[in-house]
This record gives sequence, structure tokens and C-alpha cells, in this order.
Amino acid sequence: MTEPTQKNIAAAKPKKEWVGFSVRRVATIGENTFTEAVRQKVYNILIVFALVVIASASFFSEFTFSEQLKFIKDFCLGALSVFGTLIAIVGTAQLLPNEVENRTIYTILAKPVRRFEFLLGKYMGSVLLIFVSLVMMSIMFSAALAFKEHRLVSDASRTMGNTSRVEEKQELQQQIQQIRSEVLDPNLVKAVLLIFAKLALLAAITLLISTVSTSMIFNVTVAFMVLIMGHLVGTAREMWSSNTWAKWLLALIPDLGSFNVADNIVLGNAIPWMHVGAVVLYGLVYTACTVAAAHFVFSDREI
Amino acid sequence: MDAIRTENLTKKYALGWRRGRLLALDKLNLHVHEGEVYGLLGPNGSGKSTTLKLILGLISMTSGEARVFDVPCEKVQSRLHVGFLPENPYFYKYLTGAETLEFYGRLCGMKGTHLNKRIDELLALVGLAHARDRRLAGYSKGMLQRIGLAQALIHDPKLLLLDEPTAGVDPIGSKDIRDLILRLKETGKTVLLSSHLLAQVQDVCDRIGVLNLGKMILEGRVDQLISDQRRVSITVQGLPETAREKVMETVRAAGGELVSIEHPQTTLEALFLEALNKDKRGAGEHD
Repeated sequence: MTEPTQKNIAAAKPKKEWVGFSVRRVATIGENTFTEAVRQKVYNILIVFALVVIASASFFSEFTFSEQLKFIKDFCLGALSVFGTLIAIVGTAQLLPNEVENRTIYTILAKPVRRFEFLLGKYMGSVLLIFVSLVMMSIMFSAALAFKEHRLVSDASRTMGNTSRVEEKQELQQQIQQIRSEVLDPNLVKAVLLIFAKLALLAAITLLISTVSTSMIFNVTVAFMVLIMGHLVGTAREMWSSNTWAKWLLALIPDLGSFNVADNIVLGNAIPWMHVGAVVLYGLVYTACTVAAAHFVFSDREI
Repeated sequence: MDAIRTENLTKKYALGWRRGRLLALDKLNLHVHEGEVYGLLGPNGSGKSTTLKLILGLISMTSGEARVFDVPCEKVQSRLHVGFLPENPYFYKYLTGAETLEFYGRLCGMKGTHLNKRIDELLALVGLAHARDRRLAGYSKGMLQRIGLAQALIHDPKLLLLDEPTAGVDPIGSKDIRDLILRLKETGKTVLLSSHLLAQVQDVCDRIGVLNLGKMILEGRVDQLISDQRRVSITVQGLPETAREKVMETVRAAGGELVSIEHPQTTLEALFLEALNKDKRGAGEHD
């Protein structure tokens, strides 16, 4: 029998197993969260949005074409933001309380799954839900605009066919071009992008709240309070700009008003991509910090 | 190497501001050997579930140490070879049986044909192949318990932690689960199960430990613990009444004391299962 060498001893040692961060596990949990929302018929809320869109496109035809288009944009962007907010807050607020109440969290965390992977998966599932909702609402919004464009252009073309005056024909031609340019407004894409960034941040804030509390009603209430504060914080910062303490305290609350560009769109103001980029970056940093804070709380939480 | 090893494992729960702490587990030294079925018994609130949660790293220990296959329980690696069935599991009602197993399999890093094959195997093993595409919302309690066992086994773990595995399950389902535990033992798995249904534990466990108020008050091999060394039981069949007197005399002559003569009793469970086996009607033929 040979003496065990250092090499043999090393070979005889049991293999050390390591479980690193896994994107696949995050994706699995995220996909399951999304499936849950779809099968629990969360998207039924979009039927109500569709009715809102149809209503906005069908009424107020006595206004000028420009006013009608502005109305649709203003009304639909507002509805998009409200419905998206409902999905983001209510959809995220119940994620962790449901997992704890149904004890499904035990079966997941009893597998080789890191708590951060679980939390991030839940958050990503919520963000996917928001993204798909926004895409579907944007499609309905675009359809409403296209429908309105078709009607306005048809009306203008009919009038153009009935008139023999060259000046009026030129004026109507210009009107048709203006309708098309107002409908194909690139600012709308920027507005939806900013709404998405805002909703992703709101979902992260709601997730952070739900790591502290197990009550869904509490989570929803606090999240809506943060939403209101976030829209008022811009004004509050201006009011208390001289108070250092207030300034620091207010810095903790995200300025959600900065994500809102609907007023600029209605007024016809240009929204530079630089501004959009800066606000999205602001949202991303806030979101990352909020998710990190949620992880900090959740990693020590007793389940 | 022990499958589970705890040293002075202690857990105190905070009761809230200025209300102190509750001692849920007091210096528990638990050693579960590889390949054995260990039953953790005790009344409600004795610390059974706390022990399982500490072993799974779901809650943090106040002091002491807990290891699974020599890996500290706080580390995620300790759960690589562990399958867990919680008490009264609910799972995701919107998933089908096969989707449930696929979800847990993917969490364990499984994929492709290997995962699909494993899902088929497990659904057959727990008798749910017929319900693979039915959503869990339509499963009975016994079926949920079985799909729970299947998800615990999905990654072929070496150690199974079962929290009240037969609670709320009818006698047939309960027997199926116990038979499955014994089959798993034969394949070399280690099982730690908690229960307060003592008769059922007796059938499957090699060793038991009894917890009360967070302390281990009794531990040992089941056969040794339940056998009464002072008494001898002889069961005979077909003995005529006249011969019984002779047997009694022989016992007395040898210095023994006759405590009782009675007809051995069967268990209610055995009677129930026998009656069901005799009833040859299939499902759906009842009134």
C-alpha cells in the first residue's frame, strides 16, 4: 500500500460546490411572476383602457383637428400613466405577501436559490408585466390616433374634392400634412419611454415597501403616498431650497414629476433626447438604489 | 459524515418592542446519519418547524451551529442536495402539475430532455401522471401533497426534509406517502420528517427525537424505545380452550406472572385499508 501523497490527499477531498448568481434562475422566477399575472387575468384592466381610448377618439369632433389630436394625446397619455401606475403598484404590492401567505417562498428558497435572485426575479417579472401592458396600451393609443388621422384626412380630402378654389385646396393640403406630422409625433415615444421608467421606479419602491410589511393594503397605501409625494417634491424643493435638512430629506423622495412630459406634448414643445436620457438615467439610478435597499432588508428577513 | 448536524442550536424569536424574546429552540444537538429516516416528534409549538427552517436557512439562528453534509446552513450551497416539503403546501394554483415540476427543476439548474424525463418519472412515481396537465387549483389535498413530494425530489436530492408529510391526507394517501419514504430510504436517501402522528412515524422511522418546548427530551432507535424488555408476548393460533390452562400452569411453574390473555387487535387503519381493498368497485361506480 502506498503512502498518501499531498496530491492524493487533495484529490480525496470532497469537491467544493459553489452556487453563484444565476441569471437563469432570475429569469425563471420572473417568467413565473409574469405567468401568474397573465393567468390571474391582470390584463383585464386593459379592456377598460381600450374603452377610454375609443371614447377619446370618438367624441369632440366639433373641435378643430389640432385640438382633437391634442385631446387624444393628452387623454390617452394620462390614462396610460394611470393604468400603468395601477398595474405597477397593485401588481408588485402583492408579490411578496402572497408568496409568504401561500408558503411558496419556502419551496423556492429551500432550493439553491439566493434571496437576491428571488427578489430580482419577482421585480423583473413585475417590470415585464408593466412593459407588456405599456406596449399593448401604446398599440391601442396608436390605433386611436391612426383612426382619427384617417377620419380627419378623409374629411379634408372630401372638402378638397368639392372645392375649385386653388388657395383653399393648398390650405387643405397643408392641413393634411399637419395632421400627419402631428400624428407621427416622435415625442409620443419619448413620453411612453419616460412613463415606463417612472413605473419601473414605482414598482421598485413598492417592492421595497413589501419587504418590510406583509400587508398588501399597507403596501398599496404607502406606495400611493410615495407617488403623491413624488409629484409634489419638485415644488417642495423650490419652497424649502434654503433649508439644508429639508433639502437632504427631500432628496430621498424621487421627483416623479420630472417623468411627465405630456403637457409639453400638448403644447407642441420639443422634448430633446438629452432631457429624456437624463431623466431615464435618474430613474435607473433611483431604481437600482431602491432594489439594493430592498435586498438589504429582505436578506435578513425571517420568513 | 452526518447528513445533518446541529450543535447547541438555539433560536429566540423577538416578540416585539419591550416584550422580550421567545425561546423556540434550546441548544439542540441533532445528528441525522446518512441513509436513515429520522422522525422529529413533538406537540404544536415544540420547535419542529423552527428546526427545519433553521436547517434550510429560512431563519437565522440566535446561537449554535447547523450543517448539512458539512456545509453551514447559512450558505446557499447547503441546499444543493436538499429537497423540502412544507406543511400544508399550496404551490402556484395557476400552474399545471408538469409546469410546477418544470419551474422547480429549472430553479435547480435542470433543463431540456433531462428535465422533461425527470418530470415524467416523478409524476409516475407519485401517481399523478393522469393529472399532469391539470392546474393545481383543481388538485385535492392529497394530490397537492404528492406534487409537493415530487417537487422536493425533482433534483434527486440526497436529503429530504418533510414537514408533516401525512397531515390532512386520507389513510390511503398517507400509506402511499409512507411507502414512498421507505422506497426512498432503500435508494439511500436520508429523510428527516416532522410529525405529531406517532403511529405513522413508528412505521417508517429508524430513529426518533422528541422535542418539547424547544428541548430534545427523548431520542433513540424506534425499536428500542417502544419495546418493553420486562414483558414477553407469545401469539398463538388454533389453541383449544383446554390447552390454554396448561400453558398458564407452565408459566406459573416457571415463576412468570400472567398479566393478560386477549385476542390481538388489528389497527383501525389496517381494517380500513382491508375494507377498501375488498370493495372491488372502481372509481365512479358509487351511488
